[in-house]
This record gives sequence, C-alpha cells and structure tokens, in this order.
Amino acid sequence: MKRTLLLYILSWFLLCNVLSSKGLFANGLYTEIEVPDGGCVAGYVKCTGNAGAPSIDLYAGWELPRASQVISEKLTVNKVNNGVKNVIVSISDIEKGKKGVVPQIHPVIDQQRSVFIPRVTAILAGTTVDLLNGDEEMHNVHTTSMRNQPFNFGMAYKQRISKKFDFPETVKLSCDIHKEYAWIVVFGNPYFDVTDRNGYFEICDIPEGTYKFRVWHEELGKREKEVMVRAKKIENIEFVYE
Amino acid sequence: MKPKGLFYKFGFLSAAVFSCAVMSVNMRPTTASAIEIPTEVTEEGKNVYKKYCSPCHGEEGGGDGPLSRSMIPKPRDFTRGAYKFRSTPSGSLPTDEDIFRTISYGVPNSTMIPWDILTEEQRASVIPVLKSFSEAFEYREPDAPVEVGLPLRPTERTILEGKKIYEEKLECWKCHGVEGRGDGPSAAEQEDDFGFPIKPFDFTTGKFKGGNSPTDVYLRFTTGLNGTPMPSFAKELSDEERWYLTHYVMSLVQPEECEE
Repeated sequence: MKRTLLLYILSWFLLCNVLSSKGLFANGLYTEIEVPDGGCVAGYVKCTGNAGAPSIDLYAGWELPRASQVISEKLTVNKVNNGVKNVIVSISDIEKGKKGVVPQIHPVIDQQRSVFIPRVTAILAGTTVDLLNGDEEMHNVHTTSMRNQPFNFGMAYKQRISKKFDFPETVKLSCDIHKEYAWIVVFGNPYFDVTDRNGYFEICDIPEGTYKFRVWHEELGKREKEVMVRAKKIENIEFVYE
Repeated sequence: MKPKGLFYKFGFLSAAVFSCAVMSVNMRPTTASAIEIPTEVTEEGKNVYKKYCSPCHGEEGGGDGPLSRSMIPKPRDFTRGAYKFRSTPSGSLPTDEDIFRTISYGVPNSTMIPWDILTEEQRASVIPVLKSFSEAFEYREPDAPVEVGLPLRPTERTILEGKKIYEEKLECWKCHGVEGRGDGPSAAEQEDDFGFPIKPFDFTTGKFKGGNSPTDVYLRFTTGLNGTPMPSFAKELSDEERWYLTHYVMSLVQPEECEE
C-alpha cells in the first residue's frame, strides 16, 4: 500500500517536471493569436571569405550538350553584396503569433534541364506542393522523410504530382537518375522566409519580445542569433557565414 | 404473399453476400492470413529476433549487426520504416503480410535467406518487434494495397509493347541497361537512402528479389522499392501497360546464363 502511494507521488512529480520544462513547449505547441502591432525583422545573409566565386556545384544532366547544361544553385553568392541565395530564416523559439495561412495556389517545384527550380522551398505545414517535369525525358522525385510519408515516383514529360506535407520536417527531394536534389522545409508556424538572390529576407507581424532567429543553408550550415523585436518597428539584422 | 416475397429476396441477398465473403476469404493469399500476427511485442518475438535476426540487422534494428560489415547489399535498417517489398503504394509502410512474405521467402541475390526453418508462429512473432524499431509506425498507417488487375496472357505483341515502354516511355534502360543487365548510364553512381551504393537489378539473372511470379514483378514497379532509387510508376502506366512491361522484363531472363 505504502509502496504504491510512493510510486504515485513519484510519477506525479515526474509528470509535473516534464510538463513544466520549456523544451516541450518550444518544440511542439504553437498558439495562434491576433497580432495587431507586430514588429518586423529584415536583413540579409552574407558569406565572406571566398565570396563572389561562382557556384561550386557540378553540372547537371549527363547527356545534354555542354552548351545547354545548367549550373545548379548549391551555393549562390551575389557578387555585388556577398548575399547568399536560398538560405532559410526562421524563428526557432516562437510560441504564439499570427495565424498561418496555407496558400490556395500550390507552390511549384519544376524540373528543368535536370535541375529542380526552385532549389529550396519553405512551406507551412499542411501546404500542398506541385511537382512538375518540364524536360522531355524521364525523371523521378524521391523524398526521404520520417513523419511525412516519403514517396518516389517516376515522372514523364509534363507529369504533375501534388503532395501534401503535414508535419514540420526538412525533406530532401532528389532525382536519382540525374543525381540532382532540392529541399522542402516544412514549418509549424508562419514565421520563416527564404532569401532572394541578393540574400535579403523579411519576416513580419512578430509579437513584441526577444526571439532566437535561425538561418540554415545546405552547404554552410546553421547560425543562430537573438533579436529583440519591438512593436511596429523594423529591426535590421545581418547573418554572416565566414 | 408480399411478406413472403420479401423474405425470399432478403434470403437470397444474404446468401449471396455470405458466399461472396466466403469466396473473398478463400481467394486471399494463404501465406499470412492462415496464422495470426500478434499486435504487441512478445517475449518470443524478442528472443527469435535476438537469436536469428540481430546478427545482421543489429540489436536495435539499425542494420548494423556484427555480420553486416561484410555484406552488400546491407541488411535492412528498420529504424526508417522503409521496406522494399510491399503491396502498398510508394512511400507507404508495409502491411504485416508483406513483412511476413519477405521473411518467409527471403530475398534472392542477397544474404537474406528464406526463414522457413522457423515455424510460422515464430516468423509472425518477429513482425511487431521489427515495427517497434521505427517511429514511423507511430506517425503513419500503411495505405491500402494497390489493386492488381487481371493478368494478361504473354504474347509476342505484349512483349513488343512492353519493349516500347521500357525503351521509350519510362526509359528504364537509363539505370537497368538496354539489355536489362543493370548497366545503364545512370547505374554506376546510385545510392540508397542510407548512403550505401546500390546496383540496379540485372534482369538476366532471373532471380527477382521480390518474387518470381508475374504479379510480383508487376507490383515492384507499381509500388516502387522504398529506400532505394527505384520509383513507383503507378502514375505513368495503365493496368494493361503494366502487364506489357512485366512480360517484357520477364522475357529478358536468360535461362542458359542462370544455370551457369
């Protein structure tokens, strides 16, 4: 009798501990609230050092004539301001914020000249992505993921496949025939952006507070920075890969 | 008179339904439906796994048992929930029957032997253990198996049609080679999801990994092989075209070479 009582008390303590730990909330739960006067964060991601060098990746498409081969955008650095393209910026520890809107028009990932365009796509969980094949030859689309159901389909010319991604996860999308790949990053909240060809990004309607901003690039890796967001103000930040 | 007529009608209906049910039960493959597959991990299952499976597949199902180092293809890593031989669509988890089938028949051209030295109950008891290694089974459910249409009879015409699909429509030769020897231009650099090199299948050997019947071959390119570069062509082909391709692929087998 005494022992079971002790066990109960112990398990109760454990439960309390688990529930109150911050890690659990930071990972999973996101509550939607009205954000009438949110702040904005804009900035750019740059790469110093060997910057300005053209894309280092190989040529895609083994049987194309040399002139029509395309350079894939593994690492694209702008020559003028060293801005890095295709970096994903997100807020890693946001718990409540604006309502996420799943786009009615599906984002498209096309395969042209054996390269995925765009190379990096960031979407909100629940978004459907359309995969196309614009080449007059066979490709395949092969994803590796754990929570979202992976798939691997052969794609003939002009084939269109719609796939819904329900869980936050980083999904690698590859064509095994031509050894090309792209990334689909699924987020649980709407606070994310992908940098453009100048390395710029913008995230808006953030409730006041201090947040951890995270940038991710497939080659350069992760960086994290704490930023204070004030109401109705635009905060300028800069991430530097060295 | 009326109630009687009604009774007869319903009587006939229920009889028809009953006979249909009996027929569908009879028509199911006899391999796994005959025995019961436990839903929970049992002591017996753990013991069988530890004794017979873990030397290659590893204690934790990571495909990294002590014997795995000298093997190519590598033993399956169960932690991803990626099973090659299924009756379910691309990317889906396998049904219990699919896993049972692979354990019972083994995988030719690999070190996975047919485990018919174990009793059916022992083989079935391992299945929940395998599933417990992957969190994928917590997140997802296996999809319904794909429908296999009525088989066509192989004729010269179906084989010719299949050849067209192989060479022009699906461009299978890019990996499997023009003669089906697994030596296409994209063959050399293929990798599976776990980063190990993998070879496109050589059809001339005739030892199809997922089984030698036409239905098995049909299912392989309809469902794809999860965790490998082999995609599913379910969206590209009609049912008839799939049988054409099946016949062509099976016509590539060269019996003389097999005997050697």
